[in-house]
Parts: sequence; C-alpha cells; structure tokens
Amino acid sequence: MNSILKGTSYVLVHAPDMLVHGGTTQTTERIVNPSSDYLKKLPEHLRSFDEVISYLPNQVYIGNKKPSDMTEAGDTWFDKPLKETSRFGAYGEIMPQDEFYMLMQICDVFELVLLDKGFVENTRPSFEKHPLVDETQVALIKDGIDIDEIINAVENEKAEGLYNNGSLIGCVKKAHDIDENLSAHIILENLVSKASCVLSLMNLVKNAGINKEDIDLVLDCSEEAVGDMNQRGGGNLAKAAAESAGFTNASGSDIRAFCAAPVHAMIYAAALIASGTHKNVVVAAGGSIAKLGMNAKDHVKKEMPVLEDVVGGFAALVSENDGLSPEILSEYTGKHNVGTGSSPQAVITSLITDPLDKLGIKIADIDKYSVEMQNPDITKPAGAGDVPLANYKMIAALSVKRGEMERTEIDNFVKKHGMPGWAPTQGHIPSGVPYMGFAIDDIKSGRIKRSMIVGKGSLFLGRMTNLFDGASFILQKNETKSVEKINQQDANIQVTASSPQEALPVQNTGFNQTIILTGTGSEHGEETMILGASIAASKGINTLYVGTKTADGVKTIQATTDKDAHDVMEKALKSGEADGAVTMHYNFPIGVSTVGRVVTPGFGKAMYIATTTGTSSTNRIEGMVKNAIFGIITAKACGVKKPTVGILNIDGARQTEIALKKLQDNGYDISFAESKRADGGCIFRGNDMLAGECDVLVTDPLTGNILMKTLSSFTTGGNYESLGWGYGPGIGQGYDKLILILSRASGAPVVANAIEYAAELVRGNYKAVANSEFAAAEKAGLKDILNESSTKSEATSTSNETTAVKEPPKEPVTAEISGIEITDLDDAVEVLWKENIYAQSGMGCTGPVVMVNEGKLKQAEEILRAKGFIN
Amino acid sequence: MDLENQKRVKEFAEEFGPENVIVVIGAAEGEAAGLAAETVTAGDPTYAGPLTGVSLGLAVYHICEDVVKNEVDPAIYDEQISMMEMVLDVDDIAKEMESIRSQYSKY
Repeated sequence: MNSILKGTSYVLVHAPDMLVHGGTTQTTERIVNPSSDYLKKLPEHLRSFDEVISYLPNQVYIGNKKPSDMTEAGDTWFDKPLKETSRFGAYGEIMPQDEFYMLMQICDVFELVLLDKGFVENTRPSFEKHPLVDETQVALIKDGIDIDEIINAVENEKAEGLYNNGSLIGCVKKAHDIDENLSAHIILENLVSKASCVLSLMNLVKNAGINKEDIDLVLDCSEEAVGDMNQRGGGNLAKAAAESAGFTNASGSDIRAFCAAPVHAMIYAAALIASGTHKNVVVAAGGSIAKLGMNAKDHVKKEMPVLEDVVGGFAALVSENDGLSPEILSEYTGKHNVGTGSSPQAVITSLITDPLDKLGIKIADIDKYSVEMQNPDITKPAGAGDVPLANYKMIAALSVKRGEMERTEIDNFVKKHGMPGWAPTQGHIPSGVPYMGFAIDDIKSGRIKRSMIVGKGSLFLGRMTNLFDGASFILQKNETKSVEKINQQDANIQVTASSPQEALPVQNTGFNQTIILTGTGSEHGEETMILGASIAASKGINTLYVGTKTADGVKTIQATTDKDAHDVMEKALKSGEADGAVTMHYNFPIGVSTVGRVVTPGFGKAMYIATTTGTSSTNRIEGMVKNAIFGIITAKACGVKKPTVGILNIDGARQTEIALKKLQDNGYDISFAESKRADGGCIFRGNDMLAGECDVLVTDPLTGNILMKTLSSFTTGGNYESLGWGYGPGIGQGYDKLILILSRASGAPVVANAIEYAAELVRGNYKAVANSEFAAAEKAGLKDILNESSTKSEATSTSNETTAVKEPPKEPVTAEISGIEITDLDDAVEVLWKENIYAQSGMGCTGPVVMVNEGKLKQAEEILRAKGFIN
Repeated sequence: MDLENQKRVKEFAEEFGPENVIVVIGAAEGEAAGLAAETVTAGDPTYAGPLTGVSLGLAVYHICEDVVKNEVDPAIYDEQISMMEMVLDVDDIAKEMESIRSQYSKY
C-alpha cells in the first residue's frame, strides 16, 4: 500500500548579520578585496525584519499567501511590500536573528556557543514567549557571559563572531585546536543547519498533529558535512536534530545528494513506510549560512535590497496510509541514471516522462509540477534567469515532442501546470519540496488530483563526478479505499476446487501471437492452469506458461511464487517476448479497469462487461462513462465493428446516459442498444442482460465483477468458472501493456479462452484502436463532460444543506416523470418546488419517478431537462 | 564562464593551437551565450578567471546555430537538443553570437 504525505512545515530565519559575516560571497570578497565598494555598500542594502516578513515570496513559503498571489502581483515582488503580515503562517514561521541565536545555543550540546549577558537578558522574554518553545528548551537557556570574554575568543582563539544589528553579541568557539573540520566556522555552519532543522521539526509536530514520541526516524537532507578529520562527512545531523526536538523514540540518518537530496529522502521515507519498516518517518533539512547573499553583488549593483537574507528549513511527515492524505506513488518514481546523459532532454525524460509512461498517463495529467522553485526576484537580476519558468518550458516542450500537445500551447501549459518560484536560493530548500504543503491542501480539497515533485542536483560541484542528478515522485489524491473495496470484493467470494470440465468450442484459429500465462495462485491448482494453456496451444497460439507444470506444446518458465511469476511476466512483456499476458490479481494503476467477456445464457451471444476489476475513476459517474469507452475499445479490437452499448440499471446509470449522449451529440460515435422491454431505451434491466441485447454492457467494476462470476459459474453450482473469456484486458488512457485477468476460481476452459481473448486483441491492434477511440472522445469534449458530471454529483450531494425550499400548494399528482437518478430524486422535487410546481417523489414500475399534476407535466419535464435531471 | 572551463579552454588553445580549436556553447539565452563567447575570444569580461586579459580569438558557435546544427547527425540532434531548441530564443542567440564573432574571432 502507498505511503502518504501527512504534513509539512516551512521555516525561514532572518539572518542579515550572518549574511555579512558568514556568506561565502562576502567571506571570499573580504579575502580577495577587503576594501571593495561592494563590502562598503552592502549594509545599506540589508533588509529589516519587518521588510522580510512583508516580502510576498516569504509569506508564500510559510503558507500565509499562495503561489497564485504572486502571479497576480506581477513579475517582481521586492518592490511591492505587503501591508498585512505575520511572522507565523499556516506552514511555519519566520524567526528573527536574535531568537535564532538563542535556539542555536539550546541546540549546542558542547558549550561552543557563547552569548553576551546583556543580549540574553534582552532576547529571553521574546524567545520564552515563542508558542513552540517548551519548558525543557527554556531550561537550557544559559545566562550569558561578559562581552570581554567573547571579544577575546574572537580575537585570540579563532572563534567566529555572532553579530546582531552590526554589534558583536556572541561567538562560536572552535571545537578542536588543529582539526579544520571542527573549526569555529564549520561548527557555526553546522549549528545553523541543525538549529534551523530543529525549528522545522518543532513546526512539523504542530502542523501534522503528531506526538513527538511517535516519530520513528528522521532523515536529514541538507548539504552540510558533519564530522572530524578522520570522518569528515560522518554525519547523522538528523539524529542530532531529532534529539534537540525531543523525538525520544526516533533514530536518524542523513541523505546527501546536493540539491536533489530532499526528493531522494522523500522516496526513501515512502519506501520505509510502505515496506513496514517504520510507521512515521520525517524528512527534514535546515538551511545554509554559506549561501546567504550568494548573488548579493548583483543585487547591490542593481540598487536592490539583498534578498538572500534568510536561512531556509523544511520538514515533512511521511506515514502509513490514512485513506485521506495524498499518496506517494512509490512504484512510479523518476530517477536520473548514470547512463542517462546530461542533455536537458535526457534529464527531463528520465525525471518526468519515464514515471508517467510507467503509470500510463500523459504529461498534462499531472496538474502541478513542483520543480526548482527558486525565486526569480533573486536569480533574474543575477543573470541566472527564471529557473522554474525554464523548467516548465522544458516539460512543455517535451510534451510537444511527444505529440501530446501543440507547440502553440506551451505558454498555456506553463500557466496551468506551473507556478512562480518563491523559495530562497538555499540549494536543497527550493528543490521541488516547497510545494508539498500546498499540494496536501490542493489535493485534499480537490483543486488538483496529482502533483509531481522534482529535485535536481549538480554533483560536479564536489569534483567526484561530472554527472548530474535528479529524482522525482508523484503525490496523488488518496484512492486507497476504493481500490481496497474491490480487492475485498474479490476475496470475499469463496470458491472450492472441483474437476476441470471440457473446453468450449472456439472459433478463432491460426494465431501467431505469443501469450504468457501465470499459473500460480489458482484455487483449482496448477493442473487447471496448465490444462488451459495446453488447450490454447492446441488451437495454434504460442503459449508461455509460468509455474512448475509442463504440457506438450507449451513452453514452461519455472516460478513458484506469485511474485516470481509476475516478475517473469513483466519481463516478457517488456522485452516483447510475449505480446500479452493472462494472470490473476494484477494491480492496475487508477484509471485502468478490465473489460470482461461472457456468454449470455439466453441465446449464447458474447457480451463485453465494462468493467469487471480495477478502478477507472474514483468518481462513480466519471468511471462508468470511461468504462463505456473501454468496452467499446475492447469490442472493436475484437472485431465488433459498431458495438451497441447498454447501461445496466444501477446507481448512476441515468447520469452516465446523459454524459454519454452529450458525447454522442458532440460527435463521438456511440451506438446505443435498445432494451427489449416495453419502455425501450438504453438502460438495461436483468432481462436484457440475460438476452445479450447489447454488445457492451456498462457497469461499475463491483457489479461487473459479480456479473462475471455469476455468468461464468452458474452451470457448475458456483465453485468453478467454466464459461466465458474471463475478466479481460486492463484498458486505460495511455496504458499500453496487455494484461488480462482471471479469477482464482477460473476453470481450464476460461483460462484457454482468456489466452485466445488476448491473442484476438493483439491481432486486432488494440493499442491503435484505444488511441483512436480516446482521441475521438477527447475531441468530443470528454474531459469537460466528465468534469461537469462529477461536479454535478458533488453539487447535488451537498445541496441538502441549503435552506429548505417552500412547498407550493398541494394538488393532485397523477403524471409520472421517469428517468431520474434515485440519488437526484429529492433535488428534482425541490427544483420543481422552486418553480412553484407541486411535485412528489415516488417509485414507479421502472424505477424512481417524480409525480406532478397532468396539466404541468410538460413544463416540469422541460425544467428537469434543462437542469440535467432527465434527457 | 565557469573558471574551471576557462582554464580548460586556455589549455586546449595552447596544446592544439588556437586556430585548431572551436568552442561550442550550449547556453540557454543570448546574454549568457554572448558572455561565454566573449570570454573565449576577447577575454573574461568579469575579470575573474584565467582568461582575464587573454584574447584567444577562438572560433565560437552555439549548438543551435545552423552551421553547427547541420554538422550533427539529425537523429542525435533530435534526441539531445531539439526539446531545448523549442524553448530557446534561437534568433536572439544567433544574433549575439554573430556579433561577438565579427568583433573578436580571429579564426
């Protein structure tokens, strides 16, 4: 099961004096050109704390503002201070430098941070008032020492000074006399990283609503090396930060991959949860003092404030699936391989489209991409351009190259799927992760369904390789519940073994396709499976069998467990050794479901049941509309030129009919079947189903699953599925593997038929059929129609909460209006009441009806038609 | 231009002779491409690297300029460059490169 992203935190620390004294641009300049104009002018360009909190990108970072607020505000933001601001936000906070020095001292367990007595006295009250600082931390505050001692340490003992408003107020001492790795400067860098990580952890505990004691592991993904001369990057800053944050039951370790580390760490965290190793893993990083004022020379030259004056930090909680929070799709991550190459095209392909192809979706199916979210206010004046924009353009260009959109759409794509960058240029901090907080909110609220988080890193900076690095993962709306239900449904149907029966006669002969069958997991044993394989082989189909049994004419590949068998199957499909596969219990991605085929008992006609397992969509109506298209694709690929479509009379049938008819009106070619019952129409009752009055019967997968089982096993007493072709191929937009599903109760004849069904689909070029049907449906406005029907179902479900409509005067109601969805019935009555027509709901002989006065029937029907209740 | 790259360009020019070296640039916009081109022709305009005050006058082109593009196997170009070409302002880059070449290139 997928892990979930439960909560996040984002913090900034205002650090103007650390910028001047610790940023590498400034420390380098002081060595190379100590009397430069730049160093003289720099202090005039530093921002006050008030200016920092009124800076829009900073308020977006801590969640008080949204990325869209930046788009609305224009192209630059440093020149547009916000009027209303707060240092605390929905996702975190902005801490002033003086409080941060206090936090640094609390996080220092080797008494290396010394603070001036007066400074501590002045800062203590505000620090103690901090809502997240607890008593244990307050108890760690030291009283401070005399300033002379600090001056002596800085001047004579190689300590690094700590400054506030330009004055020396403390220092960080060296931790070793000779070891450069424990010099005061390195200790300062590491302590800043640690303390800002701790601040992120403190905010995460609050935001995610979790007990500190429940955290199992912290992964630190910052860019500092912690260690001494014998183990320079020894590490475990993670555990050090976890200790200071009071995570008593947590361990920790560090993940380092330059700026790509946060995304790597998120992928590892998700895997640790999914594997069951841990229940709650925190990914966190503090910021970098070295990067403060990195581009400050350009900012000063352009008469701007120096914008790189904040240390960044973030934390994210990855947990076991709660059925609510966005899922991290562990099976569909992107990674830049050693052999990928470094051209932007190769990089973007490996990070973006490789996982999407695996998942079977297109570039535009990711609603929001979070890339290097560096703030262009900072980078543009320094000549580094707009980093997120460049990334979005590359993703769009790749989409054009793949033929998924027109070149003229690039700008629109960037607007729709991109965002302006708001993160400070702290390397790993902007790298994909800044959007995760918004992603949780946007996905939970339904504003978006999927987001991809992409991190990249420049490994060559460390001079060990010239390789580039990158990783990506997808956050998706939590759909666990619906998938589980289907699995549960399958598991609940108990079947016992019985003897195989004779195969049904089959029509198709002379295939040269190769189909692979996995034989493990059947309730009737492998004998049944190999018998099915041998029947198919005897009809001339190249059949590969994965399991332990052998038969004449069938090639067996040895495997004993389901997992091994699936691995063999996947490999054979990937290499092209097999054109299609038949198996049991395959986990299709959301958006894919299977189209079964049965022999209808009335006249022995074949009928496609769309669909029987899998999940086309978590929205019922959207799913059923898609199922209809999946059914049409399968039928056409199997040679039914104009398949007729009937909709089983189940919950959502009428809305599905309305949506499909709209699709038909817009030009998508659907032939609706006609019920043989007196009132006709394409909504099918059980009688029509038994008679096989349509080629494709549309249903939801749960109902379809029951129909498959019933129609396949009613002649055997239910324990042995002897009829039909099985649960069929997984169909979905962009899904290009041919995998057909069997039940564990499928008997040998069904196994043989499923292999033939697969071969038919290959021969009928199912991929081309699917592509052309999806293209035709899209052209007919499928997306808009689906949106409309899903929002309508949401709108009607919430309308009960609206104020009651006044009932018009009662009158005799003898005229019936049928064709209204049962779930919409009350709303339909209310709509008529609003129009001053008295109406009652009831159950007619064909289903739910609204009853009105004879004289008002026509008017009422018009109203209900206009509102989409009937067609 | 990256100081390390400046050093390598300088060394190549010394080893093979400046007339035998062509620099191919892959910068993403005109200004950056122009700066890199200027560095390997007139010298480092930022006065920071080994090419400060060293006018190598090398032949320098951007990968998206037709003269270089036509030399590349179209299949490889499509695989490696075509996506970026779509998002770059190639005309602006070419103009910038031409301007630098006409002023400072000796070969």
